[in-house]
Amino acid sequence: MKEIIKITLALIITCVVAASAMGLTFTLTAKAKKHNHHMNVHNAMMGLLGFGQDNPAPSDLELLSVYRYIVEDSDQKFLGYMVPVEKDGEETYEMVLIDLESNFVKKLEVPISMEAAQEAHDRASALDKVLSPNQSFIYADASVIATAGNKRIGYILPGKFPGFRTFIHVLVAMDPQFELLGLEIMEHEEDAGLGAEIEEDYFKKQFEGISYDKLKTLNVVKKPMPEEYTQYLEREQLTEGLLTKEHIAEIQRKYKDQDIYAITASTISSKAVTNGVKGIAKKFAYRIGKLDSVLEKQKIRAAF
Amino acid sequence: MSTTTKSNTQLLVDGILKENPIFKLALSMCPAVGISTSVMNGILLGTAVLFVQVFSGCTISLVRNYIHPKIRIPTYTLTIATWVTVIDLVLAAYVPGAYKAMGMFVRLIVAFAIITMRLEMFASREPLTKSFWDGLGMGLGFMVGMVTLGVVRELLGSGELLGYDVLGFKPLLFFVLPSAGFFVVGLMMGFFNWIEVAYNRRKEG
Repeated sequence: MKEIIKITLALIITCVVAASAMGLTFTLTAKAKKHNHHMNVHNAMMGLLGFGQDNPAPSDLELLSVYRYIVEDSDQKFLGYMVPVEKDGEETYEMVLIDLESNFVKKLEVPISMEAAQEAHDRASALDKVLSPNQSFIYADASVIATAGNKRIGYILPGKFPGFRTFIHVLVAMDPQFELLGLEIMEHEEDAGLGAEIEEDYFKKQFEGISYDKLKTLNVVKKPMPEEYTQYLEREQLTEGLLTKEHIAEIQRKYKDQDIYAITASTISSKAVTNGVKGIAKKFAYRIGKLDSVLEKQKIRAAF
Repeated sequence: MSTTTKSNTQLLVDGILKENPIFKLALSMCPAVGISTSVMNGILLGTAVLFVQVFSGCTISLVRNYIHPKIRIPTYTLTIATWVTVIDLVLAAYVPGAYKAMGMFVRLIVAFAIITMRLEMFASREPLTKSFWDGLGMGLGFMVGMVTLGVVRELLGSGELLGYDVLGFKPLLFFVLPSAGFFVVGLMMGFFNWIEVAYNRRKEG
């Protein structure tokens, strides 16, 4: 009996010490990890907008986030858009409540800085203060609107959808006319060598330049990809045998608004991504249209 | 209550040659066969093992008099798991670039036989300094083994070294396949034994 107690105690102590060490490291590294994650997302967004080392972003480029909430008031449901606005030279947020028929209900000032609004926790506590206690709210999603010199240059939509294994997290970029600028896969657990190929240029770059009309009916084809198209899609990795500018333009024309070539032996992953992107883009295009018309009618001067 | 008579340098050299984890002790063969397809993999996994081996060895050596003999193994596993987690978190936070390549390997280490075995055989009996040198030797030995396997398999399998095209052609694709791992490990073991036999014979005669 005494032995058992001794062993139990020893194990408990070991576990507590081990857990404290791990917990301590986690706390100490959490900030740096979060920063890395933000930087990753930021770099991916810049890449999607076409800015990089050879093409630096303009100095007046701004990435403005709009957060969408579902607000419930007893038995009524509203959509709540947290919209960045400029007030007395300072950037803050306003909550615009819209009913399900897209009619304006009311607007509330949310005193929170852009920086703080990035944190879900800070956002929730700010909303808690401005919404009445019988209104509950659930976070739905966020969209990023890129502006340069007060003109919209693109939308970046973080989103996720089920893949073959688990959720695939992506960033979808569209220009103001809803033409796809590109797709970035942020996180996935598809099988290596099969579904994981969705990360490769020859798959994800097929989404570049697809017009909104085509996007609505975008599909997956199970055909071998033509050699020249592969070369074109992977042109950034090539070190030799570069395509000429004219050649690139020609291929671009030839394959514009085509369906997506599926990855060999990974049709499910390919379809999941294609339909996922389609869903994210179509929903956003619809929502931003409604939101814009409400903002215009109510003369709300959003920062985008 | 040190039981080893070896000097620190001797411990270090033995870990690499005479008691090489892969070729002599034949421990942690799964990663040796599975992941040694390229030199880079060998270096990354080797570095990760080196750190975990040294840190866990030192930890166990420090608390060796307080470990209840009946729960030695759980204690070792917990120690290793803790260090692996700590290294994993630190890498992810401060060297995200390297972590991208190494992250998967680091988490694998928890289950490596070589580390548990060295804790049981050495660190739980020897003082801190000796354990440190033993850990360093074993870690380096593992790294040397992985890199040697990587050189052979990458060169013969894909005609490259560290990702650079060396041969310009691929001699035998077979070498990057998992089954080739067994062949290469076996041949290397033989080679190491042959060196030792030859060395001993020369010393005698």
